[in-house]
Amino acid sequence: MAKRAKMMTPDPVSPIGEAAMPRAASGDAGITLSERLPSSFVQVQAWPDTVAKAAKVIDKLAGEGVTIMATGPGRWLIESDETGLEDSLRKALKTDAAAVTGLTHARVVITASGLKVDWVLASGIALDFANMEPGDVALTAHHGIPLTIRRLPDVADRKAYDLTVFSSYARDFWGWLERAGEEVGLAVA
Amino acid sequence: MSNHRLTLRDGVGTLIDGSSGKVNFTFDGKPYTGRKGDTLASALLANGVKLIARSFKYHRPRGIVSAGSEEPSALVTLRSGARSEPNIRATEIELYEGLEAKSQNRFPSLAFDAMAVNQLAGKALGAGFYYKTFMGPKSPGHTATKFWEFCEASIRRAAGLGRAPLEADPDRYARMHAYCDVLVVGSGAAGIAAARRAASAGARVILCDERATAGGSLTGAADMIGGEPAHVWVAEAVAELAAMDNVTVLTRTTVQSLFDDGTIFAIERVADHKATPDKGEPRQRAWQIVAKSTVIATGALERPIVFGGNDRPGVMLADAARRYAVEFGVAPGRAVTVFTNNDTGWLAARDMARTGTIVNAIIDVRQDVSDHIRAAGAETRAAIHVGSAVVGTHGWNELTGISVGSFDERTGVASPGNRRIPCDCLAVSGGWSPAFHLTSQQGGKPIWDAELQAFLPGEPAEESNTRWHGAGAMAGKFGLRAAFRSGEEAAAKALADASFGEGESHVPSIDGDELDHAPAPVFEIRNTGKAFVDLQHDVTADDVRLAEREGFRSVEHLKRYTTLGMATDQGKTSNVTGLAIMAHARNMDIPDVGTTRFRPPYTPTAIGTIAGEAYGHLAPTRRTPMQDWHEARARCFPNGPWMRPESYNADGESVEQAYIRETKAVRAGVGIVDVSTLGKIDIQGPDATEFINRIYSNAFAKLPVGKARYGLMLREDGILFDDGTTWRLDDHRYLMTTTTAGAGLVMEHLEYHRDVVWPDLKVALTSVTDEWAGVAVAGPKSRDLLAACVEDCDVSDTGLPFMGVRDGTIGGIPVKLARLSFSGEMAFEVYCGFTHGQAIWDALLAAGEPLGVTPYGLEALGTLRIEKGHVAGPELNGRTTAHDLGLGGMVSTKKPFVGKVLGERPALHEDDRLQLVAIASLDGQRIRGGSHLVQGGKDDVGRSEGHTTSTCFSPELNRYVSLALLEGGRARHGERMFAANPIRGMHVAVEVVSPHMVDPDGGRMRG
Repeated sequence: MAKRAKMMTPDPVSPIGEAAMPRAASGDAGITLSERLPSSFVQVQAWPDTVAKAAKVIDKLAGEGVTIMATGPGRWLIESDETGLEDSLRKALKTDAAAVTGLTHARVVITASGLKVDWVLASGIALDFANMEPGDVALTAHHGIPLTIRRLPDVADRKAYDLTVFSSYARDFWGWLERAGEEVGLAVA
Repeated sequence: MSNHRLTLRDGVGTLIDGSSGKVNFTFDGKPYTGRKGDTLASALLANGVKLIARSFKYHRPRGIVSAGSEEPSALVTLRSGARSEPNIRATEIELYEGLEAKSQNRFPSLAFDAMAVNQLAGKALGAGFYYKTFMGPKSPGHTATKFWEFCEASIRRAAGLGRAPLEADPDRYARMHAYCDVLVVGSGAAGIAAARRAASAGARVILCDERATAGGSLTGAADMIGGEPAHVWVAEAVAELAAMDNVTVLTRTTVQSLFDDGTIFAIERVADHKATPDKGEPRQRAWQIVAKSTVIATGALERPIVFGGNDRPGVMLADAARRYAVEFGVAPGRAVTVFTNNDTGWLAARDMARTGTIVNAIIDVRQDVSDHIRAAGAETRAAIHVGSAVVGTHGWNELTGISVGSFDERTGVASPGNRRIPCDCLAVSGGWSPAFHLTSQQGGKPIWDAELQAFLPGEPAEESNTRWHGAGAMAGKFGLRAAFRSGEEAAAKALADASFGEGESHVPSIDGDELDHAPAPVFEIRNTGKAFVDLQHDVTADDVRLAEREGFRSVEHLKRYTTLGMATDQGKTSNVTGLAIMAHARNMDIPDVGTTRFRPPYTPTAIGTIAGEAYGHLAPTRRTPMQDWHEARARCFPNGPWMRPESYNADGESVEQAYIRETKAVRAGVGIVDVSTLGKIDIQGPDATEFINRIYSNAFAKLPVGKARYGLMLREDGILFDDGTTWRLDDHRYLMTTTTAGAGLVMEHLEYHRDVVWPDLKVALTSVTDEWAGVAVAGPKSRDLLAACVEDCDVSDTGLPFMGVRDGTIGGIPVKLARLSFSGEMAFEVYCGFTHGQAIWDALLAAGEPLGVTPYGLEALGTLRIEKGHVAGPELNGRTTAHDLGLGGMVSTKKPFVGKVLGERPALHEDDRLQLVAIASLDGQRIRGGSHLVQGGKDDVGRSEGHTTSTCFSPELNRYVSLALLEGGRARHGERMFAANPIRGMHVAVEVVSPHMVDPDGGRMRG
């Protein structure tokens, strides 16, 4: 066994790559994108008879820096800007209460905002964006790419969404966003 | 005079931007000018150009017939080069600076077309010509009759329309999804009324119109609405609607299809009115709209009257002639004669006369017309001929005059023409056919209205769950007042469908004509000369009667025998007339003959628009975190949804040379390969072990924590489904790996069994393919490589035994290490968080540099497993069993599992089934995939006894080898036969050998 000084875990590398580097639009930006690699992203799946128990644990997580998305009966996706969420949930929820699955590396979150964000997203996603309220979550797909979409609070009267995408599909999906956004002007923050 | 442009003023040229300059364009290379707001058709008419096209079969000269999307004749090729597009209706193309259009289907020129000689063979080329002439017994060795093969090339050259370009289309095509409470199709009086009422109730409304300017017939109507000219009123009404937050107005948008569940498919022509789209702008956009209810206000299509020579350029529909004059400010002719069987023809004459167009005669088959209509006729100062009919036309490439005879309404017979009227435009109105194409698509059976002499849309089909309501002329509600009323009524019903209140009524005051909309039941004037029913496919009235005489009497047979109603216009102006002629021939009423059902789309649709953003590739691409590294050094190709490296070729190296080098490097030292693409499924729960044990054919109940096991998965019918290793991470948690291509199917298989078959089991299934990046480290020096970089884990044979799973770190990155081998060598798989994949890859390369580590691609990966006899996708082909592949020992006889019962069927265990073997080339020739294993030489080939599945050059055996499936193959090792690939002309002598060509006892991989 090799013995060396302990090293810090290196930073994760963006699956999207250089395309996600900030840049301005050539004119007015109808949509602005930014990429976020979660510090923690965990799925919790309770059993039919343990939903309330799991919900109680999850409710306690609510607060600054934590996003909880109910994605099915007894199922939640939880993002935290702190690392270690998977371990702490696994301790709080034993196997007989829920399955806890770490997806921190498996997901990339793309924030899309702007005056034309609905127009761009609707060009590839069959979802009634006009009927989504802040905090609403939808599980959907773009061209076979699974997506979790959450509407964020408006920023300066501009609508915004978090688009959570599988890491291996992230660059393909980003490429589509760039292409679809050309018509209205696209910036990367 | 070639300039037919009228003086633009109020009510003349309502769609023309009189303040703009001239717009330059070319037709067949000749320069012309038009005005902003023109269509190509109106601009050509303004320049006196009437000859636009040659007909499909007879190459007869053809001109402009309509002013809309129903146009059967004036088809042109638009633009040039890669952007050229054939068969575009000149009546729909908006003029833009630099527009290029060409006529089609003529040689050497439009004015002199050599193929017009076809007209001389008119009788022979009638209905059923192809069936009668070319169908017959196939000649020996041919796919058709010899005569057809002799004629085919010249017939295909002579017939048809335009030609598609061979270059790739440079434009982009977008898609849009939209949702609304009420969709209104058509923005004429009924559509506007419906949209206003629906919008007033707060419903989300989408209003579509296929033209550039919304308003339908109101843009050229002579009526006053709300105290204003109709075109002014409707422009204001549309602007008000467009300004409302809950209303979307889509012009240049044709609703093509009405599907189930309220789903509508529409095409928006975003940039067709420009020379090229703006940056990022699509040329066309496909809208998928889901509406709670739809108001269909698509109006009605005017139909012609059939008579000899009715296709001569200059003969057009009366309403089209009126629109050219009123909306575009273009006189359709220097002297226009109107021929009608109903009141609207008279109003067309009056409206044209008001623009300054000279109308020299009005001919009506009816003897009696109302005083109001007579007054309208008097206003034109035209000669009035009631009880008369056009019995012939004169001219060659353009109309120069007509012959008129008296017409007996009672007998339907016209006398020979004894009067000749000079004219260069004959405006014909044979009544109106409601445009109920969308409702027909939904199965609504049309109903014949004997008074209107037209089919009406009828009621929605019982099986349809799409809610629609007809309004305006489409629903048989002709006239402005009826249109407004029916639009509002339809909107009220649609609002109820969408659970809204009734909304507010907005019917404006209307000052206009009250007409009798019932035409005389006259569809054809029988006389001499070719009388065309379907102008686009050159189908004559005689063709319809010939079909009847030859027994093709049902409308479906009529359509197919004569091609009536086919091609780009789908018979919009000809269907009803064709039915009427057939009904007369059969001495039946029109509705008793039957109708055909309209199919989507309403108008021709570019394939690119349907493909949308799928252009260029058919599925999204998944990338491993090391994909950039691979692409910089290897040719990558699709493997399932992933891109994967083929081989890392050195300078001048072929793929075969590269994979042989990489394979040798692994066998002699160490290599690494990206295996991040393997499917990975997290399986957790109190019943996870039981679940996995039921899924796999081999035992998993006693797999210890920290160990992995290779597992076989069967379908319910006992056929092999997928394979892979499953790692036990703790008592109730597993990581299952699957083949790359099988990942999605395995996940579905597992979810189905959990949800449907064993819902009592507490098991959670989550795809974690993207959570983990994976690298296989293979070769006799693989442990040395890991020892040089792995921390927090003992990688010795004791610390990490064969099939062991451990946690460790590399460069501070947490990793999972599993000692597994696909290559047959000592090997490990290193898994890390996906976003650390490249860092781990780099660390392994750096640690392996002193050992000569070699990255290897999919070709070497395949070669290594072929030499070892490990099966993969080509062998797991949906027909093989575990026994076929020599894996029978992995099928438990003790426990139940998916596929056990049906897998025990005797037929799946017969000795002569195709069984896995390997074959080795005896003569140094390559063995191709898909070759058949046969006895006998090239000239004496026996039957196929099997086939090759996975082939490569084996560096270990120093010859070409292949895995193969051979009848009773396990008992045939040592037998010699041939791998025949007749398509490639290959016939390779081979020897059947064991599939375990390398390390058959597994000593190497167990270390």
